[in-house]
Amino acid sequence: MPEAAGVSAVEVRHLSRSFDDRDILSDVSFTVGHGEIFGYLGPNGAGKTTTIRILLGLLAPDAGEVRVLGRDLAADDDARARIGVLFENNGLSDRMSAVGNLAYYAGLYSVDDPEERIDELLTLVGLADRREDLVGTYSTGMKRKLGIARAILHRPEVVFLDEPSSGLDPGAQRMVRDLIVELSRREEMTVFLNSHHLDEVERICSTVAILAGGRIRVFDTVANLTAASGRPAVTVSLADPGDRARACEAVGQLAFVAGCEMDGNGLVCTLSDPGATPDLIAALVGANFRIEEVRRSSRSLEEIYLEHVGSAEVAA
Amino acid sequence: MKTFRVIAGREMRLALRNRSVLISALIFAVWFPVMSALGIAAAAGEDTTAVAGGIAAITLPVGVFMGYLFCADAFLREKRDGTIETLLCTPVSLRRLWEGKAVGVAVPAYLMTLASAAVTIAAVYTLSSAPIAGEPLLILHLAVVVPVWIAAAAGLIGAAQLALGMRENQILGFVFIFGFIFLIVVLQGVAPGGGGLSVTTEGIFAAAGLALLALARFIAGKVTKERIVRTIP
Repeated sequence: MPEAAGVSAVEVRHLSRSFDDRDILSDVSFTVGHGEIFGYLGPNGAGKTTTIRILLGLLAPDAGEVRVLGRDLAADDDARARIGVLFENNGLSDRMSAVGNLAYYAGLYSVDDPEERIDELLTLVGLADRREDLVGTYSTGMKRKLGIARAILHRPEVVFLDEPSSGLDPGAQRMVRDLIVELSRREEMTVFLNSHHLDEVERICSTVAILAGGRIRVFDTVANLTAASGRPAVTVSLADPGDRARACEAVGQLAFVAGCEMDGNGLVCTLSDPGATPDLIAALVGANFRIEEVRRSSRSLEEIYLEHVGSAEVAA
Repeated sequence: MKTFRVIAGREMRLALRNRSVLISALIFAVWFPVMSALGIAAAAGEDTTAVAGGIAAITLPVGVFMGYLFCADAFLREKRDGTIETLLCTPVSLRRLWEGKAVGVAVPAYLMTLASAAVTIAAVYTLSSAPIAGEPLLILHLAVVVPVWIAAAAGLIGAAQLALGMRENQILGFVFIFGFIFLIVVLQGVAPGGGGLSVTTEGIFAAAGLALLALARFIAGKVTKERIVRTIP
């Protein structure tokens, strides 16, 4: 059922929750748009899983409001048919086969034509040849793949993935990452990804929120966050490092350059106009400087994360 | 109704695949009646009513214990594994989940109890030659009273296992078993005729079983998802 315009896939407004007089979430607000892959980041104990549990209706908020597809999942059994969930334990029985596990959930979600859907998903996650094996004989990575297949079995509109790469080797992490992107595109799902893997989040998420000390410290698109802070910066490597001082002096006089510093074999120029990179290159070439490489400077999500989580810990 | 069948069917299949629980249940189903049969045959001799009463008296504790054995797999194991959290996110209500699991536990527990009763009847018959297999009140007891008590035990123990932490469950599991046995002994004591097989006794036990079932349903209705999630280890 298509949602009315303006309804976010996930909406959290002024959410607060405490356990045993300890504030876990304080006035947390963010929204996730339809079709986004949203990364929810934070250190251990920050309240990420608590947020997901409140969104899923498993815990009640002390204050604030949460909505998934415009509904309160705690009070609306039918609305839960439109969401999928993958917790760290995968929600699978070790004593049932892959097919048996998926058939069970297909029954709970009243999936149409379950045999065909199960075949399709087992092929997609590469477990078709192990379909009748007991899940207890699977590796951690295979269980996670089957867990993802289980989570999207009923074609949910929003899927919550809690640490999907946790405990996996790098190869399996990549496989899970690729699978999430593939599923997001193919099934047009909104993905709410709770993860510690900053590299994974940076690669696949469109928007992130960083939670620390019970509060949202950052909420923005990955593109905006990883662009250089404040004014955009460009790193220019020169063929002759001896030209750096002269080039820096020349560039510093350009109107669209706010600052210039020598760095390694070249310069780091801070631009007052984000679109002035071609003009900078033209000016350097025009002044007969030989350029080897030009690249926009960006910060990694890890730097941003550590900056905000670190400051939150200091404040705490 | 469909989800109820799906949940109950799955619990029954898992119960029948769990070798360790099945072996424990089978040992108990054979050992306990054989030991009890000696006492019943010695005390009741060839008095059919007394023998049938003795058999009826031991089937209830056996049924409750079977319910406890199978509950550990259906409720406690899913909680320990955390699988219950995923199930709570499905479009199935907590009450329906509990009902499906309780019935899924009660059916194999009942079948084991019937097997145990058959062993008891065979052992007593061998020892006393009392023709008890066709005793109408014993059949009524096995067909109505025993399943109601097993369903009540499975429902109560299951609800408690969902609501309590793992440590509390370890302690209270035995409290439940002994609580049920104590209740059975008390009811046998207050029933006219000293708990022998009679319409009145069966009526009292059936009413008590239904009351326990209602109590289980009431308690299960008080268990919240938050309570379950916060007691997952």
